[in-house]
Amino acid sequence: MNGNLSKLTSFHVTGIKPALEAEDAGERSFRPALFAGYGDLTKLRYDYPVVLVESAAGSKFAQSLSDIVDGILREIAPQGAAGERLRKHVLKLEEELRGLVSQKNGASLLDLWDAAEKSLLTRTEKAARDLLRDSLGRARNALHVDGEVLDCDEATPTRFITRGWNVVQAAKIHAVKKRIEHLVLKLSDILRADYMKTEEARSAEIFRASVGTAYDEAFDFSAMSGILAKERAGDLLPDSRRQRVQAALTILQAQRFHAPLHDFEQTVVRQPLYDFVFDSCAAALEAFRGRLPEMVEVIKAMSIAELEIQNLYRESRHEPFFERFDEGALGPDDLALFPSYLICLRGERIDPAEAGRIFELLNSDLPAKILVQTDDLLRNLSLSAGQTSSVGGLELGTMALGLNKAFVLQATNASLYKQREQIVNGLRRDGPALFSVFSGAMPRVAGVTPYLLAGAAEESRAFPVFAYDPAASPDWALRFRIDDNPQAEADWPVHRMMYEDRDFQGTSETVAFTFVDFALCDGRHGADRVPVARSDWHDDMIPVVEHLDLAEGHAPDKIPYVLMVDENDRLQRVVVDDKLIRAARRCGAMWHSLQELGGINNSHARQLLDREREVWEQEKGEQLAKLAKRAEPAGVASPAAAAPPPAAPVETTIEVEEAAAEAPSDEPYIETPRCTTCNECTELNSKLFAYDENMQAYIADPDAGPYRQLVEAAESCQVSIIHPGKPRNPNEPNLDELLERAAPFN
Amino acid sequence: MGIPVSECLLKLMAEGYTLDDYRGDIPPRWCTGCGDNGILAAVQRLCRDEQLPPERTVFVSGIGCSSRFPHYMNAYGFHGLHGRALPVAEGIKLRRPDLHVFVSTGDGDCCSIGAAHWIHAIRYNMDMTVLLHDNQIYGLTKKQASPTSPRGVKSNTTPRGTYLDPLNPLSVTLGVANVSFVAQAADWIPELLYDIISEAYHHKGFSFVRILQRCPEFMPHQFDPWVQNPDKMLLLTHEKGVQLSAGLSKVYRKQEAHDPGDLHRAREIASLSEQIPVGILYRDSDVPCYEDVRMVDRLHTPDVIKGVLEEEFDKFTIWPSE
Repeated sequence: MNGNLSKLTSFHVTGIKPALEAEDAGERSFRPALFAGYGDLTKLRYDYPVVLVESAAGSKFAQSLSDIVDGILREIAPQGAAGERLRKHVLKLEEELRGLVSQKNGASLLDLWDAAEKSLLTRTEKAARDLLRDSLGRARNALHVDGEVLDCDEATPTRFITRGWNVVQAAKIHAVKKRIEHLVLKLSDILRADYMKTEEARSAEIFRASVGTAYDEAFDFSAMSGILAKERAGDLLPDSRRQRVQAALTILQAQRFHAPLHDFEQTVVRQPLYDFVFDSCAAALEAFRGRLPEMVEVIKAMSIAELEIQNLYRESRHEPFFERFDEGALGPDDLALFPSYLICLRGERIDPAEAGRIFELLNSDLPAKILVQTDDLLRNLSLSAGQTSSVGGLELGTMALGLNKAFVLQATNASLYKQREQIVNGLRRDGPALFSVFSGAMPRVAGVTPYLLAGAAEESRAFPVFAYDPAASPDWALRFRIDDNPQAEADWPVHRMMYEDRDFQGTSETVAFTFVDFALCDGRHGADRVPVARSDWHDDMIPVVEHLDLAEGHAPDKIPYVLMVDENDRLQRVVVDDKLIRAARRCGAMWHSLQELGGINNSHARQLLDREREVWEQEKGEQLAKLAKRAEPAGVASPAAAAPPPAAPVETTIEVEEAAAEAPSDEPYIETPRCTTCNECTELNSKLFAYDENMQAYIADPDAGPYRQLVEAAESCQVSIIHPGKPRNPNEPNLDELLERAAPFN
Repeated sequence: MGIPVSECLLKLMAEGYTLDDYRGDIPPRWCTGCGDNGILAAVQRLCRDEQLPPERTVFVSGIGCSSRFPHYMNAYGFHGLHGRALPVAEGIKLRRPDLHVFVSTGDGDCCSIGAAHWIHAIRYNMDMTVLLHDNQIYGLTKKQASPTSPRGVKSNTTPRGTYLDPLNPLSVTLGVANVSFVAQAADWIPELLYDIISEAYHHKGFSFVRILQRCPEFMPHQFDPWVQNPDKMLLLTHEKGVQLSAGLSKVYRKQEAHDPGDLHRAREIASLSEQIPVGILYRDSDVPCYEDVRMVDRLHTPDVIKGVLEEEFDKFTIWPSE
């Protein structure tokens, strides 16, 4: 072992940085080797910038600039060579726009578009300008959206989620507002109808006012009032009902949860509307609790209004119910009628009390939508053993899964756009939701954009993407998703890296991106790595990913390294200390748990599979043994499969088998279900024949009339369903004749 | 999204309606033996079984024996002009889609003077249940031939008998665009009459039920061959249509399993002459309803109404200063 190698081994184990003979003086900046391909992001087409589209519904609230430009090109540029010029020009404009966004983040798309167009035109040679102007003009005409343009930075998660929340909220509340206005209108109608019955409504002044000034000479309003006042207008509403309707109306009009859709004739003065966006759980909870009594009143008023409008309010039954109606009676469906509470938090600033409140909210039925943004993912890494840290965004996400009640989405700035449907999904749900987002805007990380860093956190499993929707299904398989992570099946994602070797020959290598690569982006971990000069390379140096595959403590003589590039994009091996390796192992273990929850390499499933396979193999073995025993020719002919019966001809007219004739009864009877309610029999004798609850005839009392009437009814029944039976009174006159007439009906 | 508290209260507190709750103050003044009585009983049964609140149910009619129907129902009613039941019903449905709308019309009212409205009402496919009481004669005015009177019927207006073949309301309806529900019932099979009206009520769209209705006064014995010989009736059964009870199957043995989705077979069945088909000939639940197509997302608040009216008036106002 040469001198440097032993120093490196010692560094790996102890973390004490050695002074290497070949090391350059001074601290150098290194980036993970796989970052070498990503320098200036403004030259690349990717999910950012994102346009927060105005007046869009659902997940359309966010559209990436690239998607918008692609849409425009599909619309205006024909396929093939004919559209080439347009495509080239418009993509140039897109690139220009990207450059501008990084300077003017938050400006509107149209403003940026115009600015980019202008600067592009001024920079273009005169000869080419007209064609460019034509292309850009056509693209501008095809641009149908506008909105705030977001680049990927520290403020992105809050703005993105807040816009999503606004859009979802607007759609949800619109339906409720319509419902409330409908109730207000109907309640007003009840009061108005009541008012129209009063003497005041029939007074000459009211009539005069309703006709206007042009023709007031033409009418005698007093006479009109005199005539109409004499007409009986019907009863006025009881006072209690009028007051109840009025009270419900006042509450619905004065409620401060939903802005009115229309300008109503407001009879009450409305206070300013409530705000639903908060920056702490404590404030949101306090607001919610403070508003509870008013929410109870609104729900009560809506319920009373529903009943009153349908004329189903019964004082004796409903009054006691509504008297007892309080906060305890509000269910999740009632809460769903109110806007949800959006709480935007920063992971670094969450103290234990606030963390407790987050869980309180996530464990409730309250419509709290909590965004926890994490900027510094590696904060805990620099803590020494024995130090504790508060719970941050990373921990919150996985801990919230255990509550089994809240919607949880963990994502990074790099995947926010991809996760927009999940975001809308979580915001739409009635109950609580947690959005844990890593912004990538890590302090003390220079030279790497937040987008790249956020992506790296996903790649390195430092901040995996997952979504958990307990309402989606009773099964974990449909509730929990981790498939949006890069190469979710693998422990660490691997990539093919192309580079030029020392002889300027192109070569490539498969490189895994691990937690160590991510951690080394952070300047704070400069002490945990040592670049190694080529002369010191040794067979005992193995890539970190191989080192992680070895069981802990099993390769004390192996030194883990990662590939990094320096400021000149030169590939370097960098040896890391054991502290980072341990952190990477923890991160890997966490990722394995998530994989298992997401159904990848699930240990329970594997065990079950092993057991089943064992049983199957045993059974097969026994079967084979039996077959081997009976190896003598058996000559058993398998019975010929019975030919399928010929398809029955499709007969449209079915002859139903005649049922056995029922024995004639001595009692008179009517085939009631066949009665056509023609009144023939009931007109004859309404005591003998009567209608049942379906208005169909039956023999109500066979002794209520003579046998003669039964026979006459049978004769006059057009559908012949009356059967007179045998006479009950043997002394009735002309029985013989009647029996003869009755015979066809018995 | 519902209002759970009140929904729960409504469920708990719902008051059961009995058939008597749907009977009007006036006892029916149809002749004894008239098929209309059976239709009334079936509709009242339906209202009770569906627990339709009388104040949310409307019966609209035109002129004729059939059109006396609203008077005998305890619900809202509109006894309109001859042939104009359907436009009135359409107006009601458009303005108050929450109401259950029923139309009672006769062969004269619907197929003669109201024929134009009938054709377009089918095309509009608004959600209502239309009962065509077809007794094949003008009964209220004491026997004049109607468009459905069989050829040769002698009446006050046709003393030498009618010269033309009758119009077939089923095949006409089945030939109009957007047709969504066509059925035929006979007043002398009340069980099936009820089932068919019930299916028609549950169909969302223009449910057209032609009911063969006996007129004992002016067309006596017209349907006797079919009433007395059940084998001349063809009952249409299907899992998507109506199913027969065991008792009914015993009496009416001629049956056909007819899929109401089969328009071509429906047209063939509608054209049968010897047999009378009874059942659901055609049903298509996917035809859009006009009231849904034209639904505006706007509440008609007093301010909105006033604004619209003012706007209209302004078009005709002469402003002195201009």
